[in-house]
Amino acid sequence: MEKQKLNTFIHLLQKVFTQKQPVFDLGLIVKESKSQIEVKKVSEEIKKFVDIERIVYDEKIFDEDVIDKIVDTFSKNRWVFLEIKKDIGSPLLNQLKHLANYNSFQLIDYQGKDIFEMKMPENSRLIVFAERDFIENRISYPHFYGLFGPTLSLK
Amino acid sequence: MPNPETIRFKSPEELKEEEIETKIKERGPEGEILGGIVFEEEKVIDPETKEEQIKKYIYIGNPYEEKPIITKLETEATQEEVEAIKKEIIPMKESFEILEAMARTYKHRQPLLIEGPTAIGKTYLADKFTELRYGKGVKPLDFYCSGQTDVSELMAKWVPKVETEEEKKKWNEFLESAEAQEKISQIAQEVEQEEKLSQEQKLALIHTKLQELAKSAGLSEKTQWRFQYGAVPKAMGLIKNPDGSFSFDEQKGTGFTLHIEEVGLAEPQVINALLKLRGRKGQLAEEIQLWENGGKKVKSGPKFWAFFSTNPPEEYLARNEVDPALARGVVFKRMGELSEESLHLAADYYFTYKLSEKPKEKPEGCILDIYNHPEIGREISKVVSIFHNELNEALKKGEKGRQQKIPLTLDDMARVADALIDIQIRNKETGRLDLAETLRNLIHFYYLDRLADEDLKETMESNLNELLEGDTGKIEFEGKLLTRKEIFDILVERASITEEEKSRREKEEKETRERQLKQAQFDSQDALNSLLKNLKIPESVKKVLQE
Repeated sequence: MEKQKLNTFIHLLQKVFTQKQPVFDLGLIVKESKSQIEVKKVSEEIKKFVDIERIVYDEKIFDEDVIDKIVDTFSKNRWVFLEIKKDIGSPLLNQLKHLANYNSFQLIDYQGKDIFEMKMPENSRLIVFAERDFIENRISYPHFYGLFGPTLSLK
Repeated sequence: MPNPETIRFKSPEELKEEEIETKIKERGPEGEILGGIVFEEEKVIDPETKEEQIKKYIYIGNPYEEKPIITKLETEATQEEVEAIKKEIIPMKESFEILEAMARTYKHRQPLLIEGPTAIGKTYLADKFTELRYGKGVKPLDFYCSGQTDVSELMAKWVPKVETEEEKKKWNEFLESAEAQEKISQIAQEVEQEEKLSQEQKLALIHTKLQELAKSAGLSEKTQWRFQYGAVPKAMGLIKNPDGSFSFDEQKGTGFTLHIEEVGLAEPQVINALLKLRGRKGQLAEEIQLWENGGKKVKSGPKFWAFFSTNPPEEYLARNEVDPALARGVVFKRMGELSEESLHLAADYYFTYKLSEKPKEKPEGCILDIYNHPEIGREISKVVSIFHNELNEALKKGEKGRQQKIPLTLDDMARVADALIDIQIRNKETGRLDLAETLRNLIHFYYLDRLADEDLKETMESNLNELLEGDTGKIEFEGKLLTRKEIFDILVERASITEEEKSRREKEEKETRERQLKQAQFDSQDALNSLLKNLKIPESVKKVLQE
């Protein structure tokens, strides 16, 4: 794993933009088909730079639970490393898009509020990890890459 | 002298209209757009209390039009907020076309659908339009269609109050099954067919059916249920409270802006649900009826407005067209690609750093404060906008080996501009900023590294090199035909020399001041010594002087 590239990737994610809104980017790490790197190793490497929580989005977990976990992680000012292992459901995609567009969550009837809004804390970011083949063949949302700023490709 | 019979005195309304139109069409010394959005306060008499009060309004019109159609809307935003929001909008022709359409349809309670490429800024402008009416930081209620949108998220649903993780799992797994979808749609049909039942009777029927559903899912038959409205009824009855929070009243809510994005991806059942929003004479429905709450009507508040957006079909794999029934029920505006002129304008705004406060101190990693040198920014903007345009054209055809499409957005350009402030590469020979290499590096990171098509990547790399250093990329600069890299080097050298000169002068001035201070100290010491040696001065005075 190229440490320099990872370093730049983290640096770019930490950046607070002045020329565009929203001011933070979401990051994407793509594991290319031939890459042998383990996802755990990637999240461990990132842990050396920032305080990050790994969340796996797979068949065993529901969108609402993932959203709860991300809200909880952000409330602790930590970063989120979201490993995508199934096609993204409508509730999670809504929140990922809202995070990308406004750097905030917007949930209906959540935590006792008609409209729950939570800004992404200044010290938190969200990195999505997925395999290239998975993105190309299993993610049905056609503008998936458009949700992210910097993309790190692991070869 | 004009014939007195032809002199016409303008009414105060007409004069006011002319004043607003002048402000809408206002331009700066270099022809740049300053108008488009105008804030005004007006004294009005409250019809109920008969008291005079001040109301705030915004006027929105397209300043590129010779005779702009201007829409006046009441606002909760302050003048300072409106001015700040204006500064965040790049005054491109397309932006004002969209804002003008939004203002006009909002005023007439008509739903608006804009189909246009990602780069046109539909979401961004929906956000700014909401802020213009409610104040900075207020976001529209958003709903995104995805190809697997759950209609219940849009309209309404019953959620079982489950106690354990196991029950929750059972219910969610059941909901994902085809059996569940079929049973839910059966409930809807049965409830809708029972026209003679009262609302309470319908709710009782729903509860009976829900308990059957719970049983099928493996839950207790005594499961409690919670009713939850979706995005559409919520937006119809929302109330924005003075503290910025929202509350909901299905009968007396004022309503809010609902933005439904990527409606081209919506499945037929989602479209059917959205069609409920169609009202009379092309307006939004006054109310909607939902089977889920036993047919109770949800009223549409006076500030409720629905804005739909979608990308052109060619940006979707399956060439998703907007459903014709939906298209007929809305004001449908189709936008083309950003014009080259607008793209250049946006690039100029980003690279001359007009959209934000400039850093007060040089940030770490910054070799040259290019944000203080618009002459450099303008040259960078030419290169980036050409590159952006070329890549955008190539991407429209799709990439080899990629199912997903990645349309470019103006954000890509903004990211490069921002990164250029503090991610700079130094030229080892000159010690100055190597602008061409820095730009190449950042374009690589933000534009090229995400391409899956290696051939396209290679072509674009070579195009960029040609643009920067090749003969075909040469342009005339101060009477000479030069490559962009040569122009960058000249401008960077000038800017750096100015910087070096400035610090050399500061250093010299500091040294001069220090020398003068030291000289003054020596001179005063000499004077003192000569006084002390003077025999005519009494010893008592010398003692005081020594002290």
